[in-house]
Amino acid sequence: MWIPVQINEQSAEPLYHQIKVQLRALIVSGQLAEGTLLPSIREFSQQVKCSVITIRRVYQDLENEGLLRTRQGTGTFVAKVGEQERDRHRLDSVVKALEEAVDAGRRVQCDEEELRRLFEQVVKERLSAEQNSHSQPDYEGD
Amino acid sequence: MTETAVRLSGVKLKRPNFQLGPINLEVPRGCVTAIVGPNGSGKSSTFRMILDVTKPDEGEIELLGERVEPGSSSDTALRQRIGYLQEESLSHERGFRASEKAAFVSQWYSGWDVNRYQELLRIFEIDPSLKLGKMSKGMRRKFDLAVVLAHNPELLILDEPSSGLDPLAWKQMIELLHRYMEAGYHTILLSTHIIEEVKRLADYIVFLVRGRVLGVYEKDELLSSWFVYFFTDRELAARADIQIESIPGKQSLERMTGMVKITTDKAVEAEDWLRQQGITAAGKQALELDDILELLVERQRLLTRHS
Repeated sequence: MWIPVQINEQSAEPLYHQIKVQLRALIVSGQLAEGTLLPSIREFSQQVKCSVITIRRVYQDLENEGLLRTRQGTGTFVAKVGEQERDRHRLDSVVKALEEAVDAGRRVQCDEEELRRLFEQVVKERLSAEQNSHSQPDYEGD
Repeated sequence: MTETAVRLSGVKLKRPNFQLGPINLEVPRGCVTAIVGPNGSGKSSTFRMILDVTKPDEGEIELLGERVEPGSSSDTALRQRIGYLQEESLSHERGFRASEKAAFVSQWYSGWDVNRYQELLRIFEIDPSLKLGKMSKGMRRKFDLAVVLAHNPELLILDEPSSGLDPLAWKQMIELLHRYMEAGYHTILLSTHIIEEVKRLADYIVFLVRGRVLGVYEKDELLSSWFVYFFTDRELAARADIQIESIPGKQSLERMTGMVKITTDKAVEAEDWLRQQGITAAGKQALELDDILELLVERQRLLTRHS
């Protein structure tokens, strides 16, 4: 099974954290349904080109959060996600993306007002583009 | 999973013009460990000691839970569980046909799986009727790898496995080794110069330089801790209150025109520090493995000079 996780090697954020945030988002958003069997640790590590140690850590952390469960000898599955849990994590990846955008702005000396203006402009452009085209959004896959 | 496949404790090898060690190293089971280092660092010698081909002058070696007693290299039960790919193909085998060598080797391994061997020949597109001396370097390498894998060893020791392979064969080899690791309890210990090979295969990296282990690192952690930051002189002048050289993990500082370039080996802490100080880097870049190796070698050189 292929899991749509994309890592950014140029980010100073540890790899295991990047993967954890994205996998968690896939689970709480329901894109990975309850009961889905995840790839083995080795398989997943090959897919994302990272080490098994990183994936093991991600699986363990998400298991501790109650989002995954491991059955000895069978593998790691997506657990049942409660409504509360879903709400709590739904916006995690959005907040992260916004943080990165703000960092990028600060690198070119944007001030607060400028950032806000850009944010509103981008929101407006994106939403109107979405309304205009009813086709699938551009999806970049490998 | 925390079990150890190979353990070296205080292992030393003394030669008139070279000293290897003392080496203390644990290779975890179920993982891929890559030994990286310049030529002549002692990678092949280390492998030969692990396999009891060369006797260490000091220290102890443990292999798959059993202590290697130098001289008792006839320990065939242990040999059955290991596959070893040498750095150089044996030249005295040039006159053999591939099928003859395979028939010879298969006698020594009770676990020899003829179906697996045939499948490997098919994947690598090897003609077993060819004489080994008539094979191209790449095909010979692929054949040797097939022979080493055919008895399904628990531990694979590969000395520069990809030397001579073209990009397509290299990719086949990587995929094959990935599949080998899927069993979960298999272990690979390899030496390599090829950065991409380390990135694609390794879980742990061992830097071996001039006979010494400079460090054992978890690959992802290593690659995400070494970063280069660039700061404009303008930004730094505006924040004259801050000593940029106190950035956590600073390894080097280089002045360029209009810029300062700083390398750190603690990227996460550095990032926090920059945020606290309210300084923005004009750019940042993760270091490649070869850059990290170069800096570690340099650091070691300075340390030995000062001690």
